[in-house]
Amino acid sequence: MSVAWQFYISTVLIYLGVDVIACWGLNLQFGVAGLVNFAFIIFQAAGAYTAAVLTLGPAEPASQGGFQQYVGGAHWPFPLPILAAGLVGGLLAALVGGFTVRRLRSDYEAMVMLVVSLIATSVATNQVGLVNGPNGLALVPKPLATLVNLSPIGYQWLFVGITAAICVCVYWLVHIVTSSPLGRTLRAVRDNEQAAAALGKNVTGLRMLAFILGGVIAGISGAVLVEFISAWSPGSWLYPETFVYFTAVIVGGSGNNLGVMVGALLVPVAFLEATRFLPQFGPPGLIDALQWIVVGALALIFLWFWPRGVIPERRRRFPVAAKAEVPVRTGE
Amino acid sequence: MSDLSAPVLAVQDLHREFGGVRAVNGASFTIPPGRITGLIGPNGAGKSTALNIIAGALKPSAGTVSYHGKDITGLPSHKVARRGIIRTFQLSSEFAALTVLENLLVAAPAQRGEALWQAALGKRYWRPQERAMVERARQLLARFDMSAKEDDYAGNLSGGQKRLLELMRGLMANPALLLLDEPMAGVNPSLARRIEQHLADLVCEGLTMLMIEHELAVVERLCDPVVVMAQGRVISQGTMADIRSDQEVLDAYLIG
Amino acid sequence: MNTIVPAIGFGIVTASILAVAGVGFTLQFGVTNILNLAYGDIMTAAAFVAYLVTRAGLSVWLALVTGAAFGSVFSVLLNRCIYTPFVRRGTRLFGMIIVTIAVSLMVQNGLLAIFGANFFSLKLPRPTSVHIAGMVFSTVQLAIIAIAAVAMLLIHLLLRYTKLGKAMRATAADPDLARNCGIATDRVIDLAWAISGALCGLAGVILVMNVAAFTDTTGAQFLIPIVAVAVLGGIGQPYGAMLGALVIGIASEVAAGIFNPEYKNVVAFVILVIVLLARPQGILSEVATRKEVAA
Repeated sequence: MSVAWQFYISTVLIYLGVDVIACWGLNLQFGVAGLVNFAFIIFQAAGAYTAAVLTLGPAEPASQGGFQQYVGGAHWPFPLPILAAGLVGGLLAALVGGFTVRRLRSDYEAMVMLVVSLIATSVATNQVGLVNGPNGLALVPKPLATLVNLSPIGYQWLFVGITAAICVCVYWLVHIVTSSPLGRTLRAVRDNEQAAAALGKNVTGLRMLAFILGGVIAGISGAVLVEFISAWSPGSWLYPETFVYFTAVIVGGSGNNLGVMVGALLVPVAFLEATRFLPQFGPPGLIDALQWIVVGALALIFLWFWPRGVIPERRRRFPVAAKAEVPVRTGE
Repeated sequence: MSDLSAPVLAVQDLHREFGGVRAVNGASFTIPPGRITGLIGPNGAGKSTALNIIAGALKPSAGTVSYHGKDITGLPSHKVARRGIIRTFQLSSEFAALTVLENLLVAAPAQRGEALWQAALGKRYWRPQERAMVERARQLLARFDMSAKEDDYAGNLSGGQKRLLELMRGLMANPALLLLDEPMAGVNPSLARRIEQHLADLVCEGLTMLMIEHELAVVERLCDPVVVMAQGRVISQGTMADIRSDQEVLDAYLIG
Repeated sequence: MNTIVPAIGFGIVTASILAVAGVGFTLQFGVTNILNLAYGDIMTAAAFVAYLVTRAGLSVWLALVTGAAFGSVFSVLLNRCIYTPFVRRGTRLFGMIIVTIAVSLMVQNGLLAIFGANFFSLKLPRPTSVHIAGMVFSTVQLAIIAIAAVAMLLIHLLLRYTKLGKAMRATAADPDLARNCGIATDRVIDLAWAISGALCGLAGVILVMNVAAFTDTTGAQFLIPIVAVAVLGGIGQPYGAMLGALVIGIASEVAAGIFNPEYKNVVAFVILVIVLLARPQGILSEVATRKEVAA
């Protein structure tokens, strides 16, 4: 396979990995716990900024040729920036969740979170000292690049491996939550929180847990993405990105971890990548505009025909215990 | 059952308003152990509000609720439930996207695997207990003749089946005190008789219950004592016979 | 003090636009219980229609009428063909948000695809400045204020004195009861969308009359302040929306004058979040529970 093809495929695989991780996080919040986090993308962004800042090192002042301003900075080796990104995603979720995870009707909740997302974008863009404003951060060193001596394509495949390993870890986390009694209780809270509370479940605590875990996972996805593309700016995390992830979760199958993998494959990856092969027609930006139109149409079509997604939430059945051999006691 | 045994629950001088309307206006009553205490009264008497206050779904503006002598006024509903006070809802409140069996499993108290660290320990940690819970749930289903519905989505059940599920779920939670909010509301007569029989069996097994109910014939058969509320206050307490002869009760609503 | 008085002047213009837009938005919500997040993009589309009209050399007044008519027709079709079917299908509240955002993206990007990523302006007659009480207005801005005032008056007359208005208020207060009383609710809903759509279109045109240039996202950027206006005044309450428009219009311009102009919209954002969290039923609304404000 030619090197160009390898580059392309490995890149797509990495994007797929990032989107799958993000969708698992959103699925935990929305599919399993029923939380409408329409600010999801800001948690991915927080993770990306964190990982970037912790890899770039402290900002150089402009007098010494520095062209980016941001807070903090360190030269942490891989995988620490990614872990820190998860931590920051979780902390941000704890902060935001504290005043939004409450009993608002679900479309109001979506509005509140949407506005939070817009405020975050506004602050990041206008407070230039925070994360370098509209230009964002760039030239983030790639992890392990100095430690291993690989060709560019070799490094790509290494990164694919790193992404895959992180996917496995995140899958373990979402799987243990979803398949355990904890997952069942979260789904019960999603379905009827009053009844769940009446059965002794701490609804607020459980929702915060799901929200924070989702935030951690979103942060990790952002870290992996920024370590790969080496740059991150407010343009990378506008509110329609949250919409894309929601569409992926709904299309794939809300509540089902495998389903949302399919959703991540179909929506952000396959569909958006498919247009890459179209010949460039019309003025620049036309294809992007058409992409968004199709994403919107996809959302409507799937919500209409398959509201539960391609692979819906599984029905849990419990095996009947095999009848143990009971020795027949005669004369009883 | 000794009449002198200490009440399981005591409600003292409860008050609760909704925007100027006094829903509960100084209600006091006690719930003795091992029996079904009936809570009756005309519409708007404050019965559901009183039950919601006991269950922790509402906070009273004044008054106390004591459980086995301990003050539990104002505790949130999940903490009240953890102490063994389980309530059912008048409107169907099943977990619609979970199966019937899962609905029951959710109700089981003190589950391993419900905390994050426990879930992280994996199936080997919480599976054995879950199996025991499944067995218990299946016994409940068998008792209520719902075994065939085990894997059905709770949202797809008929209205009557949902009422049964409501009751089973409450029992699965191992209640020390079960609060029933019109358990037979909107149910056809034959199913109502079956539910009545189940409740009678539960009394024989020693379960303490409080039941809001409108059909007085049922109350007469099942409940002793009976608490009558009207306009937010308790206007009479005692056996059904006592109440039938209480003029104030007769005035409050016509007894057939 | 120097910056505040002129800022109040800007605020009055912004409030005029917000009032027209906000009343339309709140009428839609009041009658159908949907947060129509495509509203801002329909405003933009109407603005583009007006642009085409003025580019063809026709009068600005005709552009206003065409824009309003476009908004009206588009909104009725949108509700009939997309929103109502989804609601009838049982789509829950959050699902409807996804639907409205999908429509919003499609409209916005449709405009982008058709017109390109350029900036456009309406061909207006040259304005002159007018000084009133320390505030400066262009004649265009005075026209905007006048148009908004007339529109609000017409709405008031409609709601107060016509059968349709009463039917709309009844349907907003309790749709099931209204239907049982024989109010032909489907027709009322169609007319409500027609009227609110006209307000939407009108708002879109006067919005771009007030800016130097507009693009495909201009209306969408105005959406959150519009929602804030509607929610602040009590969602479903047209008079509340007028009040909310004054508050938010003036407050955001004054804040922009005093602090960073970039943060003009943030005032509206923050107000919206605070209102939704603290008092979701808004200032004027008494009955919140019927609209299941707290789920």
